[in-house]
Amino acid sequence: MELLKASDLVKRFGNTNAVKGINFHIEEGRCVSLLGPNGAGKTTTLKMLSGLLKPTSGSIDFKGEKAKDLRKFIGYLPQYPAFYNWMSGKEFLVFIGQLAKLNRKEAEKRSEELLERVGLTNAKKRKIGGYSGGMKQRLGLAQALIHRPKLLILDEPVSALDPLGRREVLDMMREIKEETTILFSTHVLHDAEEISDDILIMHAGEIAISGSLGSVMEEYRQPILQIEFESQAADWLKSIASYSFVSEVNIQGNKASIVLKDMVNGKQILLKDIVDRKLPIRKFEISQTTLEDLFMKVVKA
Amino acid sequence: MTQWTVLYRKEMMEMVRNYKFLWIPIIFILLGVMQPVSSYYMPEILDTFGGLPEGTILEMPTPTGAEVLMKVLSIYGMLGVLILVLSAMGVVSAERQSGVAGMVMIKPVPYSSYILSKWAGLLTITLISLFIGYVASWYYTSLLIETVAFERIFQSGVIYSIWLVFVVTLTLFFSTIMKGNGSVAFVTIFVVFAISTVTSILGKYMKWSPATMTEHTGQVLLSGELNSSFLLAFITTIAILIVILISSIQIFKQKELLE
Ligand SMILES: Nc1ncnc2c1ncn2[C@@H]1O[C@H](COP(=O)(O)OP(=O)(O)OP(=O)(O)O)[C@@H](O)[C@H]1O
Ligand SMILES: [Mg+2]
Repeated sequence: MELLKASDLVKRFGNTNAVKGINFHIEEGRCVSLLGPNGAGKTTTLKMLSGLLKPTSGSIDFKGEKAKDLRKFIGYLPQYPAFYNWMSGKEFLVFIGQLAKLNRKEAEKRSEELLERVGLTNAKKRKIGGYSGGMKQRLGLAQALIHRPKLLILDEPVSALDPLGRREVLDMMREIKEETTILFSTHVLHDAEEISDDILIMHAGEIAISGSLGSVMEEYRQPILQIEFESQAADWLKSIASYSFVSEVNIQGNKASIVLKDMVNGKQILLKDIVDRKLPIRKFEISQTTLEDLFMKVVKA
Repeated sequence: MTQWTVLYRKEMMEMVRNYKFLWIPIIFILLGVMQPVSSYYMPEILDTFGGLPEGTILEMPTPTGAEVLMKVLSIYGMLGVLILVLSAMGVVSAERQSGVAGMVMIKPVPYSSYILSKWAGLLTITLISLFIGYVASWYYTSLLIETVAFERIFQSGVIYSIWLVFVVTLTLFFSTIMKGNGSVAFVTIFVVFAISTVTSILGKYMKWSPATMTEHTGQVLLSGELNSSFLLAFITTIAILIVILISSIQIFKQKELLE
């Protein structure tokens, strides 16, 4: 079922067109990632969905109805969450829970549950001012979940974390996605590939590509040949661009990735070339373009 | 419990934790007590430090109790106002700056509840500080100089509190529309000063001004009678307060709260 639909959403800040009329929808129960480089308009889009920022034009429907105040249905973790540093973690959650219309008892109970879940039980009585960045991020996640929102919106939930913290938050998200629809932005493509069902790729205020992760990968996937040399082989790499079966050559130092139109014949000819010229290679691998390749293509286009 | 109550309790808790509930009343007590004490000891102080030539006979007219309290209120009008504005300047702007206002408003909280809980918090600390300080002042005045009827103290205190409420409401307004704490304080003080000055210069045409509350306070203190123009000033002040609060809420709604 369609949970949320954005139609022709536009946001202008003075002369900057941050979001240029985007259309997309989110299915209930899915985990959707919003990808895009810095300044693509991810945060602006998420803020509009959360109700904290009024769109310049366009509309947002929630469960098929024009949205008025979505805040009750949405849990939001901002890119840079802020807290009352003089409160303890537990106090803050109970406070936020009551603001989300839980009564005192429910708020206490739910706070304990969530503190447990995000691994802050031992720190619950400490002042938030003394929390580390990772702890604040986890507290931010807990406050977003406190009123059991229908849609959880997370703005770059893992960008500021170390690999361990990232792992923890991703695991939590994987758990949460069993019960709640999630929309999260990230520029860590690996994370998107790992846990999302659907992806939206934004670039310069527009949605460039959208769809389920599987179908997008399917549609844009290309066979690719990766060769690693012991020393530079730029001359040869330049020369192969003239073969009709080669569609793209990317060189990065001693490595090259070559997109082929005809993998079967192409790899034979190239391999033969390498042997004939006695080029010193370390690795010769056939693989598929990744989300990262796709992302780079969209962003550079 | 309504969201307003939750927010108001948070305001109270915050002022307890950062000791505002301690030091603001203490300052009001000190400012209030200093005046009767110094009036009482003035002859002796002059005697000790004055360096007056031998044999000078000093005829200090002893002020009446009401006069001493008038002085106290005029000190509250300067230093008290300054303290209140400085302590209230960040009430909204600091929370917007840190982003925590966004964390609150992302929950289904009415914008009016947020602003009105801030307002109630400011009123609480203002009224408590004024009341405690003024009563302490009255006590020392009675002890050292002359007893003033408590009734007059009460009436004058209530009328004076209307002026202070006006001042903190103005602070809340500027704190909502501007971001830098310093500029909030500066603009508020400037506006308060301008209103007071214009009111005292153009007295005849400014009978409706909230700043006349300080004059009405003096009147009640000295004579026990209320000037007939009080009602007009009272009504316009309330009307202005309502307009300021409504505009604060509306402006707050339009602000971008998460950076
Ligand atoms: N309050 C604002 N005033 C003016 N311009 C803004 C404002 N907020 C965002 N912008 C502009 O809108 C564009 C999109 O910004 P946005 O924060 O949505 O990007 P983003 O995709 O979240 O980037 P990042 O990955 O860096 O977080 C940028 O060009 C930014 O400069
Ligand atoms: Mg962003």
